[in-house]
Amino acid sequence: MRLEQDIRVINKLGLHTRAAAKLAKLCSRFESSIEIASSKRRADAKSIMSVMMLAACQGTELKMVVEGEDAAEALRQINDLFESCFEERE
Amino acid sequence: MFTLHGTGVGFGIAIGTARLIRRPGQEVPEYSILSGQVNQEIQRLTDGIHSAADCLSAYYEDIHDASTSEVQGILEAHLMMVQDPILLEQSASIIRERLVNAEFALQLHCENLQAVFRNIDDPYMRNKSDEISQVIGRIQDELLGQHAGQSSLEGIKEGEIIVTHDLMPADTIEYKKYHVGAFLTNLGGPISHTAILARSMQIPAIVGLHEGIRYLKTGDTLVIDGKRGIVLVEPDDAALDVYHKRAAKIKRVARELEAIKYKPARTLDGRTIELNANIEFADELKQSLECNASGIGLYRTESLYMNRKELPDEAEQFDVYSTLLNSTERPVTIRTLDLGADKQVDGGRRNMSLATNPALGLRAIRLCLHDLTLFKPQLRALYRASIHGDLRIMIPMVSSQAELDQLFIVLDEVRDELAQENLPFKPHVPIGGMIEVPAAAVTADIFAKRLDFLSIGTNDLIQYTLAIDRIDDEVNYLYDPLHPAVLRLIKSVIDVGQNAGIPVSMCGEMAGDIECTRILLALGLREFSMDSAVISEVKQRVRGTHIGEIEPMVRDLLTVNESDRYRDLIQLINR
Repeated sequence: MRLEQDIRVINKLGLHTRAAAKLAKLCSRFESSIEIASSKRRADAKSIMSVMMLAACQGTELKMVVEGEDAAEALRQINDLFESCFEERE
Repeated sequence: MFTLHGTGVGFGIAIGTARLIRRPGQEVPEYSILSGQVNQEIQRLTDGIHSAADCLSAYYEDIHDASTSEVQGILEAHLMMVQDPILLEQSASIIRERLVNAEFALQLHCENLQAVFRNIDDPYMRNKSDEISQVIGRIQDELLGQHAGQSSLEGIKEGEIIVTHDLMPADTIEYKKYHVGAFLTNLGGPISHTAILARSMQIPAIVGLHEGIRYLKTGDTLVIDGKRGIVLVEPDDAALDVYHKRAAKIKRVARELEAIKYKPARTLDGRTIELNANIEFADELKQSLECNASGIGLYRTESLYMNRKELPDEAEQFDVYSTLLNSTERPVTIRTLDLGADKQVDGGRRNMSLATNPALGLRAIRLCLHDLTLFKPQLRALYRASIHGDLRIMIPMVSSQAELDQLFIVLDEVRDELAQENLPFKPHVPIGGMIEVPAAAVTADIFAKRLDFLSIGTNDLIQYTLAIDRIDDEVNYLYDPLHPAVLRLIKSVIDVGQNAGIPVSMCGEMAGDIECTRILLALGLREFSMDSAVISEVKQRVRGTHIGEIEPMVRDLLTVNESDRYRDLIQLINR
C-alpha cells in the first residue's frame, strides 16, 4: 500500500529538536518506509537528523509518502502527532 | 592584567581560577590519513559515537527523577541524533573521500549541516544548528578524550570558573554538582542555556565573549563582574582588593533585600505603596509572585504576536489570559496590543518601514482601531477571560477623545456579541489609559472622566516631551527622566487622578529606577510597576523614605533654574 498526504506544521516552534525526535521515534515503530518532503528537501522520517534538516518552521507544508503494509495506521498516528503539536504545551 | 568583555548575566561577582573545558567549535586537529588507514579511522569514529551515546544514556538515566521533562526531551533527542545512522554514514564517506581524521570529518559534516540552517529566517529553527554542533562536538570530545584518556569534567574543584565554547543542556545537570564559581563562554546571549543555568545557580556568567576565551588558560586567576560583563585576567592586588570588597557588599545587599521581601512597602511616614510587576510572558508570573509583587501592573501582549507568521486567534489568547488570571488572585493589568514603532508584527502585516517616523505613526491603539480584525479577537478574549480573575484592561498611547469614542463603541460591540453568543464575561472590567503622549498628559483631566485608571508610560512620555530619540546615540545624552518638564507632566497626571478619585500608576522604566523612587513618591505616586527583579531594591528605597521630609525639595526641583543647584537637590533627595 502506498499513501500520500500533505501535512502542515501548525505548532509554534516548528519541527524543532524534540518534535523531530518524537516524529522519528514514532515512524521507526512502523514497517513501512516513510518519506517526508518540503519543497526543497526530502527526508527519511525515521532519521532525526534527516527530519531536522528539513528545517520546517510553523506554517511549512510537507508531503508524506508512506509505503508498506501498515501505511494507513502510520499515517493516522503521524497526523495525530502533528495535530497535538507534538504533545507539547506552547 | 588585561580585561575581556562580553554580555554579563546572572548574579554578582566571582573570583577564582580558570578551568578550560574543550567544546565544539573550538579547533579540532586536522590531519591526513593514508588510504590503508581508512577502515581503522572509521572504526575510531564508530567507537567515538558509541561512547558519546553511552555517556548521554548515562545522563539520561541519571536525571529521570531530578530534572524537568524538557531537559529529558532534549537529552533523548540528542541521543537519537548521535545514534542516527546518517551521521555515521555521511562522516565516514568524508573520511573515505578526503582522507582526513575522524574529528575533522565530523567538523566538515557539521559545517555542511549548519549551512542549511544559516539562511532560515525563523529564529527557533536557526538555533537548531547550535544543537547539531553540540551533538557533533560531544562525539569529537570522546574522540579527543581517547587521546587524553580522561573525561573533561573530572577533577573540577568548587569555586572554579568554567571557561568553554558553549554549554550544552546535558552539562547543565553535570555542573550543578560541582558548585562552580562562574561560567565564561564564547557563544550565547541573555537567554542561552548558560544564562539560564547561571541564574538558577545564582552565580555570574559572561557569555558572547566571541573568541575571547582563547586568551585564557587553566589556572589563570579571574575576576568575573557579571553585572558589567567584564573579565579581569590575572588582576593586580589593588584590583583584587576592590573586587573582594564589592563581592562582600553584593552579598550583604542580597541578604538585606531577601530579608525585606515579605515586609510591607511602607514609607517612614506610614504610606503604603503598591509595587507591581511588569511581565512579558505569562510564565513570568511565578517569578513576580516570588518577589512578592502586589500584582501585575503591566502584561505586555506583544510577545503573543511576534516571531510568528500567523496572528494568534481568539481561542489561543483566551487560553493564555485565562490561565494567567487563574494563577493569581492579585490584580492583573493586561495592555492591549502595542505594536508599531520598534515592535513590528512578524509576517509583515503591513509595511511599516515606509513610515518616515514610526514612533509618531500608526501604532498601538491607532493601529488597533484602524484594523479591527487585529483588535477585536484580543478584546473578546480578554472579556471572556475576565471571569477568571481580577482583570484590568489598559489601552496604550491614547491621545484624543475621538479615539476614546471609537474605543467605547468597539467595547460595546464586543460585549453585545458575547452576550448574544451566551459566552460568560464580566461587563464592568476596569478600562484604563496609558498616558505616554504629552497631549494626553496635558488633558489628563478629560481622560480621567471617562476612564477607570491611568498609567503613566514614562519611556515614550519622556521621548515625546523632550523630542529625544533614545536609540539615537548623538542625542540620547539629553534623555533625562528628571527633566522638570517631565516631572511637571507626571505631577499633573497624578493630581488629576487624585481629584477624579481614580488610581494612577507608573509602568515605565522610571518606576523601577531607584534614583527616581523618592522623587516620584514626593510627587504623589502610590502605585509603581516594574521588572520583578528590581522590586526588592525599590521597596528598600520606599521603606527608607520619609515623604514629608523631601516634599519641599522636590517642589523646588520643579522650578529650579540653575543646573548645578538641580543636581545638588537630586543628590540631597537621594541621600
